[in-house]
Amino acid sequence: MSVSNASHATPAPARSEQILSAERVDFSVDAPGGRLTILNNISLSLNSGQTLAIVGASGSGKTTLLGLLAGLETPTNGHIELAGTQLNELSEDQRAALRRARVGFVFQSFHLLPSMTALENVMLALEIAQLDQVRERALSALEQVGLSHRLEHYPRQLSGGEQQRVAIARAFASNPDILFADEPTGNLDRSNGNAIADLLFALNEQHGTALVLVTHDMKLAERCQRIAIMDDGRLSEQPPE
Amino acid sequence: MNSLNLSSRLLLRQSRSGSLWMLIAGLVVATAAISAVTLFTDRIGRALEQQAGETLAADLVLAGRTPIAQDIEQLADQNQLSSSRMIMLSTVLFSDQDSSLFDVKGVSPGYPLRGRLLTAAQANAEDRATDQIPAPGTAWIEPRGLRILDIEVGDLVYMGEHELVIDRVLTYEPDRGGGPFMLSPRLLVNYSDVETSGLLGPGTRVNYRLLVAGAETAVQAFGNRVEPLLQDRQRLVTATEADNQTGAALEQARRFLAVAALTAVILAAVAVLLSAVRFTRSQRDLIAVLKAFGASSGEIMRALMLLLLWLVLLAVTGGLVLGWIGQQAITEILSAQMTLPLPFPRWTVMLGCAAFTLLLAAGFALPPLIGLRKVPPMRILNRSLDQRPSLGRIGWLVPIAAALAIPVLQLSDLQLALLMLGGSALLALALAIAAWLAMRITRVLARRSRGAWRFGLAGLSRRQGASVLQITALGLGLMSLLLLMIVRAELITQWQASLPENTPDHFVVNLQPDQAEPFEAALIDMGAESLQVRPMANANLVSISGERPDRDRFTGQVNLSWIDQLPPANEVIDGEFWSPGATGQISLSERWAERVGVEVGDTMTFDAGGQTFNATVTSIRRVDWNSFNVNFFILVTPEAAALLPHQFIASFYRPESAAEALDELARGYPNASVLDVGALIQRVFDIISQVSRAAQVVFAFTLVAGLIVLLAALEATRDQRRTESALIRTLGAGNATVRTGLLIEYSIMALIAASLATAGAAIIGWLMARELFQFSYQPSPMLFITGFLVSFLLVVGAGWLGNRSVLKTPPERILRAG
Ligand SMILES: Nc1ncnc2c1ncn2[C@@H]1O[C@H](COP(=O)(O)OP(=O)(O)O)[C@@H](O)[C@H]1O
Ligand SMILES: [Mg+2]
Repeated sequence: MSVSNASHATPAPARSEQILSAERVDFSVDAPGGRLTILNNISLSLNSGQTLAIVGASGSGKTTLLGLLAGLETPTNGHIELAGTQLNELSEDQRAALRRARVGFVFQSFHLLPSMTALENVMLALEIAQLDQVRERALSALEQVGLSHRLEHYPRQLSGGEQQRVAIARAFASNPDILFADEPTGNLDRSNGNAIADLLFALNEQHGTALVLVTHDMKLAERCQRIAIMDDGRLSEQPPE
Repeated sequence: MNSLNLSSRLLLRQSRSGSLWMLIAGLVVATAAISAVTLFTDRIGRALEQQAGETLAADLVLAGRTPIAQDIEQLADQNQLSSSRMIMLSTVLFSDQDSSLFDVKGVSPGYPLRGRLLTAAQANAEDRATDQIPAPGTAWIEPRGLRILDIEVGDLVYMGEHELVIDRVLTYEPDRGGGPFMLSPRLLVNYSDVETSGLLGPGTRVNYRLLVAGAETAVQAFGNRVEPLLQDRQRLVTATEADNQTGAALEQARRFLAVAALTAVILAAVAVLLSAVRFTRSQRDLIAVLKAFGASSGEIMRALMLLLLWLVLLAVTGGLVLGWIGQQAITEILSAQMTLPLPFPRWTVMLGCAAFTLLLAAGFALPPLIGLRKVPPMRILNRSLDQRPSLGRIGWLVPIAAALAIPVLQLSDLQLALLMLGGSALLALALAIAAWLAMRITRVLARRSRGAWRFGLAGLSRRQGASVLQITALGLGLMSLLLLMIVRAELITQWQASLPENTPDHFVVNLQPDQAEPFEAALIDMGAESLQVRPMANANLVSISGERPDRDRFTGQVNLSWIDQLPPANEVIDGEFWSPGATGQISLSERWAERVGVEVGDTMTFDAGGQTFNATVTSIRRVDWNSFNVNFFILVTPEAAALLPHQFIASFYRPESAAEALDELARGYPNASVLDVGALIQRVFDIISQVSRAAQVVFAFTLVAGLIVLLAALEATRDQRRTESALIRTLGAGNATVRTGLLIEYSIMALIAASLATAGAAIIGWLMARELFQFSYQPSPMLFITGFLVSFLLVVGAGWLGNRSVLKTPPERILRAG
């Protein structure tokens, strides 16, 4: 069964439509030594189905930017528009509602719930998104990542690569418009990392999902259509080749 | 998805993984421990109360100087209570040969409502229980009454306008009461005969009583209804209030059982706290993930609270079942030795225990859970954003206080509850502060040390919050177990010793002054032990510091005695007791002085047979009424002997072998009366021995529950420890380093917890002995040294054994799970 033709709470946007945009976004926090600016005047935009890599040194602000773009956090200045909605105007709960319909996540440290099986981890995300046929969707998503035989395993019984596959199944199962991935291969060895990257891009292609991929691995970044470089809180985009 | 759905899914899914089982296990242990102990102690308490009912011949007595209104008797009827009227008065009775003052008691059918009368056909015949009362026109007389009036069964006595035939000999009445003041012999007659005797005119001191008995709740309801209807000089008497040794023994018994129940409460609170904290900690990741995937914080909160509710309900149900089985097991263990018939366990107690766990879980788990609502979704990307749940507002104290109020109300012993629970709260604070300070110090030390020390010290301070909690929980658990040891080893032993083998079981009254010395010599000859012979004058208290005292049951006619030094079982609490040779002084018992409102410095005038004695109060004594010594509310200096007409009274223990010799002796002193209170002493002895045995078993049960809680406390940080030690082994540390490190870590925790727990137990035990049990308690250093060592070894040993698996697990497997 293909996930992409499943009905969705909101209609999938047209290919060329803009799914994400950031305008002059700043982010600063109060730190012990005074005010600390982590992100400085960042603007970017991304169309539906497009893939964007954000690369940069550790500590340069990539994760923070990802959190802002996904609406997990609000910027100090500037505007972010996600799936046609201005995030600034939304409450935390409204942003959560937006995420549940449109956004998927893959994290560096997987973030599977240790007390649930692989299948249950995927099902939970679908239940939160208030979709129907939760079990069928979850089964099919796990099949797509090649884990049909490990459905009832708990995360501690799975290898890192397998845990990340469960996380990818969880992210794609609700057929989001945009996927945010923070160093998805960062905790994996090279061969496992490559397998995960292949899977990620394959599903991305198949579902027509937009992708924002944070990494410090240039090789991985180069598989995206666009690459932006983060350097000490400033973002500059590499001109396409 | 709605919250109900989400919560049940979370419950079902997490249930198989075992993470929720820790919470359930903690709550089950808590509920089981508290319900087993309170159910059982409640049963014993009620059984004792029913027994004590015998000392009143009823469950509740309305007593007064005026006849009791018909409506009140009807009220008892309406409450489905059985009732019986009674009149008591002191009057002179005549026979054809002699006359003497008697305590006459007129009873109506049904008497006694609790306990049974024993009567015999002849003076020295065997006695038997009876359900009858004397028929109108007949009377039952105490054996010494026959001697005093020089009559036999079948003869007549004259009471007011009536002639009564002596029908039987009365050998035992359950409500005869004890103590040395039963001066006159008893005549038991029919109520109607007293009413029509013409003796009830003004000027006679008559005591009218209504006895009621029945179901506990009905008795209570009746008491509540009657309370506001009480007239002047009417009062309600319950068995425990009755001023006698049985009441005192019951009070002590109840306290000992309450100590066990409160210990269970403390242990249960610790267990619930530990489980609740672990539960909320484990829900942290869940919340961040749920939020990132778009669940609203309202949904999450509702789901988590429902989840908590399911878990608590499940655990409470399981705990109650176990608790019920537990109290049944305690009953079984004791069944061979207990002669008390135990009433059935009460539902209200079960409900109280359920509410206790529920409220406590809410108080401990909800605030951090609600705090988790604020977990920023960004935490999922950046763990450093994790804030500690703030316990800032003190609203969370409300459910905890409500929870603790339940056992306090159930035990209805505020003083003891305040002492134990308040003491525990202070100790918890001290433990937390000490642990926190120790964490700061170990952090500094860790930086300067190397190898195993560094690993051990750093481990402690890295888990600062968990370590503080762990030390506090361990300390509280240890303290309550040590307290049980103290109570068991010292207080119960003292209690048992308070009624030694040779406790005086006979009293002699009415010895004339010239008879006292030869009688005493004869008693010594026959081997009487614990012998005391004391003078006693019956006098009217005519003025206090120049004013006429209010008429009160404590004033008017009073008994006083004289002595030249402080008698045993007396302690001066105000003023100073006189030295030999002093004159014109009075020493009062604390209770009497408070009741009448007399203080040191007041003067009092007594009158007896036209002679007056005037003196100044110079001391107030606290009297141990539990001791079966002859004691007096009022003591005066010995010159009173020359002024006041008096008699002598004696108390002593009669060895079995001297029974005949005593009868012989008594025949030689026909004016004196010998009273046997052996039955009363046996009753008190039964209470003491049965309750102390029951307490031992309950204590052992609580001890086991306590050990489980302690192990759970040690278990709390094991996962974290496992990951860490795996990590440092991966980094190349040897097993020896990890092992020594763990040993150091546990030793430090054990040191803090055990030393503060020992100190806390010593202080609370000392206060308890002094303020509540009124025992002179010397904390024994040996007990504390042992207590400390055992606690220390227990914590280190159990922690150590529990963590052996940490060393056995291959690092690779642990790291993957992390
Ligand atoms: N809420 C915050 N408070 C304080 N410092 C923060 C906060 N969020 C991020 N930082 C700091 O901002 C910098 C950038 O962090 P991050 O976005 O995680 O970088 P990257 O993902 O590129 O490694 C780091 O130095 C981090 O410690
Ligand atoms: Mg990062």
